[in-house]
Amino acid sequence: MTDSASSAMDTRPASRLSSRSSLRLFLLSNEFGLLVLIIVFAALFHGLANGFLSPFNLFALGRNAAVNILIGLSMMTVLATGGLNLAIGAMGVAAAMACGWLIEGAGLAWPLAVLGGLALGAGLGVTNGWMVVKTGLHSFIITLATMSIFFGAMIFLSQGESYRALPAVFSDLGRARVFTFVSPMFLIAVGTALVLSVLYRYTVQGREMLAAGARPEAAEMSGVRVERTVIACHMLSGLLAALAALLLTARNGAAIPSMAGQLGQDWLLPAFLGPVLGGTLLQGGKVSVLGTCLGAFLVTMLTSGLLLMQVGAFWVQSFLGILLLLAVMIDKGRRSYLRRRNLA
Amino acid sequence: MPSLTRFVRTDWFGPLLACIVAIAIIQSVSPTFLSLANIQVLLLALAVNALIAFSQMIIIAIGQMNLSVGAIGGLAAIAFAGAMEVWGLPAPLAALFGLIIGLACGALNGLLVRISGMSAFVITLATLSIYKGVNLGITEAQAFYGVPQAVKAFGSAVIAGPVPWLVAPTALVAVWLWFMLRRQPVGRFILAVGGNEHAAELSGVSIARTVVTAHAISGLLAALAGILLVARLGVGQPSIGDDWLILSFAAPVIGGAVLSGGSVSVAATLLGVVIVAIITQALVLFSIDPYLTQVILGGLILAAVSFNRLRESRFIGRFGRA
Amino acid sequence: MQKTSSYFAAALIAGLSFGTPSIAADDSRIALVPGGPHPYFGAWAQAGEDAARDFGLAGADYRVPQKWELSQQNQLLESLLSQGYNAFLIFPGDPVGSVSTAEELSGFGAPVMAGGGCFKDPSPAALCLGTDTGASAYEGTRKLIEAMKAKGDGPKRIAHFTGFLSDPNTQLRIDAVNRAAEEEGVEVVQTIADIDAPEAAEEKINAYLAAHSGDIDGIVTTAWVPAVAAAEALRQMGGDRIDMVGIDHDEAVLKAIKDGIVDGTMIQNPYGQAYIGAYVLDRLRSGCTIKADAPFKSNALTDRFVDSGTAYVDASNADSYIETMRGETKAIMDGFEATYLDCQ
Repeated sequence: MTDSASSAMDTRPASRLSSRSSLRLFLLSNEFGLLVLIIVFAALFHGLANGFLSPFNLFALGRNAAVNILIGLSMMTVLATGGLNLAIGAMGVAAAMACGWLIEGAGLAWPLAVLGGLALGAGLGVTNGWMVVKTGLHSFIITLATMSIFFGAMIFLSQGESYRALPAVFSDLGRARVFTFVSPMFLIAVGTALVLSVLYRYTVQGREMLAAGARPEAAEMSGVRVERTVIACHMLSGLLAALAALLLTARNGAAIPSMAGQLGQDWLLPAFLGPVLGGTLLQGGKVSVLGTCLGAFLVTMLTSGLLLMQVGAFWVQSFLGILLLLAVMIDKGRRSYLRRRNLA
Repeated sequence: MPSLTRFVRTDWFGPLLACIVAIAIIQSVSPTFLSLANIQVLLLALAVNALIAFSQMIIIAIGQMNLSVGAIGGLAAIAFAGAMEVWGLPAPLAALFGLIIGLACGALNGLLVRISGMSAFVITLATLSIYKGVNLGITEAQAFYGVPQAVKAFGSAVIAGPVPWLVAPTALVAVWLWFMLRRQPVGRFILAVGGNEHAAELSGVSIARTVVTAHAISGLLAALAGILLVARLGVGQPSIGDDWLILSFAAPVIGGAVLSGGSVSVAATLLGVVIVAIITQALVLFSIDPYLTQVILGGLILAAVSFNRLRESRFIGRFGRA
Repeated sequence: MQKTSSYFAAALIAGLSFGTPSIAADDSRIALVPGGPHPYFGAWAQAGEDAARDFGLAGADYRVPQKWELSQQNQLLESLLSQGYNAFLIFPGDPVGSVSTAEELSGFGAPVMAGGGCFKDPSPAALCLGTDTGASAYEGTRKLIEAMKAKGDGPKRIAHFTGFLSDPNTQLRIDAVNRAAEEEGVEVVQTIADIDAPEAAEEKINAYLAAHSGDIDGIVTTAWVPAVAAAEALRQMGGDRIDMVGIDHDEAVLKAIKDGIVDGTMIQNPYGQAYIGAYVLDRLRSGCTIKADAPFKSNALTDRFVDSGTAYVDASNADSYIETMRGETKAIMDGFEATYLDCQ
């Protein structure tokens, strides 16, 4: 499910490729590597820690992964343009707080309030995109400034107070379990990922987003309205950030200003981790929806497994880093082994 | 006007102009801004923040990113303070110990990037966790207090007038970096690798050595920043470095560095740090409602870079092609 | 093979046991969970060990989230539940946002109690044993005003340095400081917030003092890091014109008090919170209930508040503050069961 500008422009259907080489491509792909790593580590944690595959742990894992996946996808949509978005957390919190206010302050029904929150997220994304396009400044600077502005405005308007008188549907979503071990939040994240991969793979807009990220000049000449496309990417990012924050609101049972930390910075590292592990290029033009999901899931699972194994309380972070390095190295080894085998 | 043209076209002219305008505006509203005491505080903030920015700048120069700058700085800081408190090392030895740790962490980043062939982004994200985790594992979040009086005195002593001793190491580093990037082969290799890795390799530059060197320098500078901060704070706090990431990128980028590599400027980065420090100070000076501080901070950053941008399109347009 | 199957059986049993709420027969395994790594909680580890020894618990373990992030704390709590901990003393990462996780824990029959800081009502927490943040800030400000007035009459002005605005306690502290100042006719000329990181605290406090040290007669700090930074800043400025009252027991603050740079500090009782907390949780697990007419206090967050004690420490008792808090802990312990619990 890796979608790149080149494959987007490629009109040959995949079936024309010989089955051997497509299998080889699949075995060499990031996505396959991540899948293998997830299975290997899951087996490892199951063997070493009690309760890793218990229904409650799986449920909690899915719930945490859901938010991380959406955060990763939100960053990915902007990475596709070759830019980045530091304001993801700030936009998400602002959207969730707006949703809370619409319910408690304005007395709207919850579906309308959720739409309002999503719309605010998309609107903030458009603001970012518009400023990037109009000023010609790097999105790093624009979103650095808007991160401060969005979060500051949210704190000023809310005075740091939470909205917790939300309808039961929110906390129900956070607590409900499908088949005793699947969180519906996880299903929402997977559904969103499916929609996104359809967007990038089968729609003109999606292909234009990738083309605009890969070679803006070439895209412009072939009729892509690059500026509008970049704004659309930022809008999508805002929308996904808002969705992530709304899911987190469901999980916390309240919209709280601190849910993404000071300035929303807690979301930054998870936001990059998923896409980059999944093979999305920071230079733009290539994204992998499946890879982002698997990358986010792998990291969430590593954390969960380490916590269960009760490694020294203060050392968990070190082990997480070492496991990440190990994962990267294993994947590298796997790929060079396969290459050698195939060339031989 | 050939000399003026050249002056206007230099990479640090825009940030310099932004600085001067900002200082003029703040001074006209609050006359205490350019008081000696305030200049001293400004220089103290610059001393540490400039090192943090340089530490990132050198990695931006090779077209990569180092997310572990803060983690290395924090680890070196607690190594420095811890070596003095626990082992009773004299301050210079402890500082050397901290610097070596920073150098080693940086070199490890570089080696891992080369060996794995992964982007430095992923590698330093992982090592960020490792270094920060080691920091927490050693300190258990408790600070080291055994910082000798001499070190604290260094943190607050002045050379002359408002110029604190703390800026001395930073000034030396700035001059050295400038010299290295402009005049020395290793500096040219770094910029060449950042500009076009393939072309650099064809012309005989050892990519591996250059990348590892750049990361080692980055680690060293981050460690120096951490050590100076311990001298300044008088306490070896484990949370040192947690907030460096954004600043480390913001200053070079505000100064005009290109994130894709090959183009950085020591002077422009320094001015980027000055702009950030001035804005921070202005917010405190004007007694702004704490709830509005963040909004205004963001607005001012936008104003500063937009101003720089405007200058580029106008002035270069008028003088540049003269 | 046998090993694998025994792991499997263990996992199965662990999985099953989560289905059955309230497991009162086995021993108490108590988790003491702070909001993140922070020096304030250093005493919790020792208190847990002491409590486990003194009350014959299976464990009272200090388990720390890797970062001060709500999501990290939630993930750790979920994991601890999977690991078989059956009672929780929690410093809520967010008074509102942590309630949903607490409900989940108590849904599995594990008693939950807030320590250090409180959950916002309604919550499943049996009670909140913590510092009354507002009262502590109020008391500290009054002590500061006393010290300033001792130096002579005339209008007095103070500056207030505090923590993150996204923490609702920060607003309580700001209100309390302003109230105490207003009652005594003292002006709060500046409140600087969001300075919980050492770098930011150092830079902003020094910048403020450089420009405005002549405008103020006193400083009150209501967060750990600003207290350390302000004490160091005053030490470097020299002179004793500016009075200061800090918070907590950082060595740098205590030393500044002994050296006469700082007037005093409002210490809290983290040791007592964890020690008494472990005791109460164990009693609750062995069948005790909270008395219907227990004489709880109220604060801005909850109506089931028990003050863990706060004390003003100045040069006269800076060396013996630990004894002061031990005494406080003993006083709360002594009558606790008779006052608050109903044990058959």
